[in-house]
Amino acid sequence: MEPILNVSNIEKYYGNKGMVTKAVDNISFSVNKGELVGIMGASGSGKTTLLNCISTIDTVTSGHIYVNGKNITTMKSKQLSAFRREQLGFVFQDFNLLDTLTAYENIALALTIIKTPVKQIEAKVNYVAKALGISEILKKYPYQLSGGQKQRVACARAIITQPSLILADEPTGALDSKSARMLLESFETLNHDLSATILMVTHDAFTASYCHRILFIKDGKIFNELIRGNDTRKQFFDKIISVVTLLGGDNSNVF
Amino acid sequence: MFFKLAIHNVRRSLRDYAIYFLTLTFGVCLFYVFNSIDSQQAMTSLNSNQKEIIQLLTSAIGYVSIFISFILGFLVVYSNRFLMKRRKKELGIYMLLGMDKGKISRILIVETLLIGIFSLGIGLAVGIFASQGLSAITAGIFEMDLSAFQFTFSLSAFYKTLLYFGIIFLIVMIFNTISISKYKLITLLQASRKNETFKVRNIWISITAFVISIACFAAAYYLVLTKGWESGGILLTCIILGCVGTLLFFFSLSGILLRVIKANKKLYYKGLNMFIFRQISSKINTAFISIGLICLMLFVTMVTFSAGISIAHASSQAVKSAAPYDLSITGYTQQDGTQAQSAERKNITESFDLQKQLDLYAKDYVEIAFYDTLLRMSDIPNLLPDVPSTAQNSYMRVISLSDYNHVLVSQGKEPISLGDYEFAINCNSYLVQPYYHMENNQSITLNNHEYQLGIHKILNETLYTEYSLIDTGTIIVPDTALTGFTPNSHVLNILYRQSDSDYAQEATEAFQNGISKKVQEQEYDQYHEYYQYTDKEGVYQSNVGTSVIVSFIAIYIGLVFLITCVAILALQQLAEASDNTVRYNLLRKLGADPKMIHHALFTQIAIYFAMPLLLAIIHTVVGIQFSSTIVQLFGSGTSILTMSLVTAGIMLVVYGGYFLATYWGCKGMIRPKKN
Repeated sequence: MEPILNVSNIEKYYGNKGMVTKAVDNISFSVNKGELVGIMGASGSGKTTLLNCISTIDTVTSGHIYVNGKNITTMKSKQLSAFRREQLGFVFQDFNLLDTLTAYENIALALTIIKTPVKQIEAKVNYVAKALGISEILKKYPYQLSGGQKQRVACARAIITQPSLILADEPTGALDSKSARMLLESFETLNHDLSATILMVTHDAFTASYCHRILFIKDGKIFNELIRGNDTRKQFFDKIISVVTLLGGDNSNVF
Repeated sequence: MFFKLAIHNVRRSLRDYAIYFLTLTFGVCLFYVFNSIDSQQAMTSLNSNQKEIIQLLTSAIGYVSIFISFILGFLVVYSNRFLMKRRKKELGIYMLLGMDKGKISRILIVETLLIGIFSLGIGLAVGIFASQGLSAITAGIFEMDLSAFQFTFSLSAFYKTLLYFGIIFLIVMIFNTISISKYKLITLLQASRKNETFKVRNIWISITAFVISIACFAAAYYLVLTKGWESGGILLTCIILGCVGTLLFFFSLSGILLRVIKANKKLYYKGLNMFIFRQISSKINTAFISIGLICLMLFVTMVTFSAGISIAHASSQAVKSAAPYDLSITGYTQQDGTQAQSAERKNITESFDLQKQLDLYAKDYVEIAFYDTLLRMSDIPNLLPDVPSTAQNSYMRVISLSDYNHVLVSQGKEPISLGDYEFAINCNSYLVQPYYHMENNQSITLNNHEYQLGIHKILNETLYTEYSLIDTGTIIVPDTALTGFTPNSHVLNILYRQSDSDYAQEATEAFQNGISKKVQEQEYDQYHEYYQYTDKEGVYQSNVGTSVIVSFIAIYIGLVFLITCVAILALQQLAEASDNTVRYNLLRKLGADPKMIHHALFTQIAIYFAMPLLLAIIHTVVGIQFSSTIVQLFGSGTSILTMSLVTAGIMLVVYGGYFLATYWGCKGMIRPKKN
């Protein structure tokens, strides 16, 4: 299977001579089409920096990132905007919906940015909304929606342009457990039914257990890789917890 | 430490809200420049006549300045409150760190002081230099020689500026201290997490309000154009209707606009248009009151500018037609008639013994007689069908055809001719001329003879030098019609041999001395009970005075209003942009390229700036129609159009400048931060 995303030997340094922080330290991996990949790590491990580099919001210090075979680390800013709007979809922790726009318009905005003809917009939005179970709330404004609904609207916005890759940064971070479950089921829908490739950053084991494969990052390096294979979600979850403990995750240093 | 913090804060706000501080500095500068007029160099070399004008101007500006300081005070207090709102979170963090409210107030006081010193210092410095420039302009108006340039500084204006702005800043400090003491920590910290209680108004409410506002405009425009002059009450009604209409208009605008644009799907779902229109409509929704007020202030600004400059221009134009002679001496005969009839009938030259002076100075002269009590306005009802009742009983002057023709010839014009039993009407007041319906027929009776209107148009001549065009109606009749009547006044019109102002002054003085010498003599028979004289120089000076006073004050008020309006608009947009960095970042992540984002920002600011201006322009067109009647009082000849163009030019420069500055400022704010 061809890789959608190929990250090879990237590094990201902050600071200057004398005081260098290696946020990302020589990471390489690839994501294949149709995969749902998670990146886990504690706060400050470099996972968000990695995601920012992939999403072209930040630049790498060295190394290369290929999306669909194109090297994005050498692109100019104009090409980058075009690349972002055509190849990437985003889901953020804090939803990032525009509060002045209705849910429908928030989803449609992603289409108007890539200059989709007006006639196609309505059908596309309705199709995705139906798949994610948000058809009923399209006319509402973000302030009228619950967190889970907002995040599903954000998912719809991410998928509607049929990007090669959806990047999700702590998508369940601001949700209660029920909403989180519903959202993750939406991710599975996107992944299965709409054949979306998803790369998700999280520090939550429950969220991660929905992935096919998980990369663990510590101090800017890949520390471990877990593949779900034929495990049930429960089995996979237990494996994740054991790695997290090994990794010195959230609780290990407390006692 | 606190001082350091205050300096840091000021520096940061200076960067983000540079436009506000520039406006403040500009306000201080204007304030100083206009208040320093009396001590400017140009004013020290004026003659007494001109000095009087400047004294009048100075006191007028003094009163206007009080009003202006209220406007500027409003701007400062409003902007300060606005900036404070943005800083709630920062203040909350100070409190969270254990700073007590007293200390926070002190930081704010130091900040206000710094800003005050900064803007006052720079404003005064610029003002002192700018006042030298204004001095040169005034010198140009009074045609003075400023070859010996001298740097002037007005201590009184300096103190006045310090005092007025000191009070304004003091009010700001008190305001801040009060609002700090009211703040609660929880609201401060949650200020940024504002639940945008974005109200979506019922579309029917919007439509109703919109219809009412249009009805208000229609009624106000109609009333002011047809009946505006009839009473103050009607004018007041128009103003109230206009204000209510404007507020309702902006109240309903966002709903209507959005509906209309959404109906056009091609437009709405194109690029970032959806985002732009939603942004604007939510902004108007929350700020419709301030937008409405700005619109009204812009309206006042534009009417002040164009009417003020027109009056100034008209009055300097009118002087040319109002003063055809270098000197006009008018003598009035005794009104009881007894002595007048017994005495020998004399003209001015004989009465005051002026032949010697005439021989010496006059290139040409003409003497005419007026009969003031023969006819009233009510005697020509067909010609004046709708003259106000108060004017019906006023007398019209009568002049003989030969005298009238003498005047025309002396002014190098063709004489007129009348039939034996015909009369004509002369009127040079632009305000009164429209009342005459010269197409009608009319007869008058004098000496038991009937005279018919011979010339069916108004003759527009000035019969002697006067301060403005005030001939409301003079009836010209054949000489025979006046036999047996005694004239009530004589006028001696003189044209001097030379036209330079030194010669004119000398000649006028010679005539003056001749008259007063004669009046003091014992044998003066007092045929002319009292007299007055009007010289061209005097008329020029007084008209220049009117122009200067009116135009200076119009520009002063207009500029301050204008910068206040645009500063508020700019501030609202800048604050909006800093709130919106998150939104723009999101658009960037969604793949909107910088060009699209800048276009969105530009359109958004342009529409926001244009809306109040467009409605204000419509108001102004009507307002100018109305005010042009006043302008005509001061003389016609000026098309208000040219003055509107001047106004448009000023507006374009100031408004456009602020608009661009705002756009660049916002662009800087939303630029992605480089790591």
